[in-house]
Amino acid sequence: MNEFLMYLTNGIVIGVINAISAIGVSLIVGIMRVVNFAHGELYIFAGYFSYHLSASLGVPPLLAMPLSIFFIFLIGIGMERTLIRPTYGDEMYSLIITFVLSIVLQNAALLIFGPYPNKPPNLVSGATNIFGLYHYGNQRLLSFFISIGILLFIFYLIKRTWFGKSIRAVSQDREMSSLVGVDHLRVNMLSFGLGAALAGAAGVIVAPIFPVTPTGSSAISLNAFVVVVLGGMGSLKGCVIGGLALGIIENLGAAYLSTMYRNIFGFVILILVLVFRPWGLFGQKAQ
Amino acid sequence: MGALIEGKGLTKSFGGLTALKGVDFHLDEGEIIGLIGPNGAGKTTLFNLVSGVFHPDSGKLYFNSKNITILKPFEICRLGIARTFQIVRPFLKMSCFENTLVGIIGRNDKNGGKEERKDEVRTLLKFVGLGNREQTLAKDLTLIEKKRLEMARALATKPKVLLLDEVLAGLNPSEILQALELIEVIRTQLKMTVFWIEHVMGAIMKASDRIIVLDQGEKIKEGKAEEIVSDLKVIEAYLGESDA
Repeated sequence: MNEFLMYLTNGIVIGVINAISAIGVSLIVGIMRVVNFAHGELYIFAGYFSYHLSASLGVPPLLAMPLSIFFIFLIGIGMERTLIRPTYGDEMYSLIITFVLSIVLQNAALLIFGPYPNKPPNLVSGATNIFGLYHYGNQRLLSFFISIGILLFIFYLIKRTWFGKSIRAVSQDREMSSLVGVDHLRVNMLSFGLGAALAGAAGVIVAPIFPVTPTGSSAISLNAFVVVVLGGMGSLKGCVIGGLALGIIENLGAAYLSTMYRNIFGFVILILVLVFRPWGLFGQKAQ
Repeated sequence: MGALIEGKGLTKSFGGLTALKGVDFHLDEGEIIGLIGPNGAGKTTLFNLVSGVFHPDSGKLYFNSKNITILKPFEICRLGIARTFQIVRPFLKMSCFENTLVGIIGRNDKNGGKEERKDEVRTLLKFVGLGNREQTLAKDLTLIEKKRLEMARALATKPKVLLLDEVLAGLNPSEILQALELIEVIRTQLKMTVFWIEHVMGAIMKASDRIIVLDQGEKIKEGKAEEIVSDLKVIEAYLGESDA
């Protein structure tokens, strides 16, 4: 029983991190109709940034995390300005560009950081006894709470702030929001930066637990896409539920069936969703 | 004194179809100008050019003597031209309050605190008669309420000119009266210049200072209502050529 609870906890911790990463993809798809295939690479870069900032440059790990996220935010804004902006109006071009970019970035990461897995130092050590049932690593617990904090921040940003209202207006009707004075180009740019920053956030949170490698990026992108489809396009709530579901199923499946099939569970779910509920758990049927 | 909005030689083609051919027009401050014409005459295209959705192939557009021909829609909106659509397009998944707030956010002006702006939203919603609908999602409104909401959102941008594309379409006779009252109030209380497209002839003839008639992309007539109804070319455009 305790074992089961521990696997479940693992699933939940990974689940909220999945959700952060998936919201990054979902925001960009929902607002700009751009599928960012380079999502996983941004995640990997963030992991390496935080490693090199803290291990090589001696920046305190707690500062290295937000700093790495900020760098990824800037990279995202740069990508939008130079590569994505000229493609507006034709989704196929942006699809090809981000796909090519993911290959370029992955190989750049191999050249710059080398093929070895790296992990930034842990922020905390030791383990805590959870309700007297089992011991759980403090680093993972901390990751969980940081992730929850980021999720709350995103929900607040989108639902409550005025910038969030512009984002939602543009995602619902880009032309109409421009006609009532919303600068949709600026909204696009900032949301791409935000989506990238979320990939980076997931990267820096996971890196101390699962070391990053340059070749690990495609699995991360695919994972985020599975969650987005599972939850329903453009639904934040869907990303959270989808992320948790995927995290829990993968961890329980790996524990009780076989770790070999860890990644298969996600895709089995993806296929089932696409067959039986193609608009996702919380998405809306196309009219 | 120059015109508030002036269009010179506006031409726009879509593929092989010329939607507008060298149209000149102007709006003076405080006027209500009607724009009429048969289906496919280019009325909505003209609105699209003025609001920046499309840019003309040739010709120039001026607002307060400033060239706005190739500005983006949000830039034109911020200068003071707002627009509603023939088929209503509120942000369906947002409340009436949020819809209207987007128009205020869009102004991008720095003066006034958050509370003031929230008050402004409430005032606007009351003004268009949606005072008790603040938290209702736009998708749950009736057609006339959606039109009212779209009007509130357009007014929230503080326009000098309001472009209204067939606000009366799809309304029943009593709703048409309500909508006309609202337009009359906008004109008299807010002193806005209104440029509107309408198929309900009685309404547009009565309420407009001047009427522009388009047919197959060309301006065929411009003048007061009584001159329009008796013009042969206009009658031909609507009813077809007479054999006699």
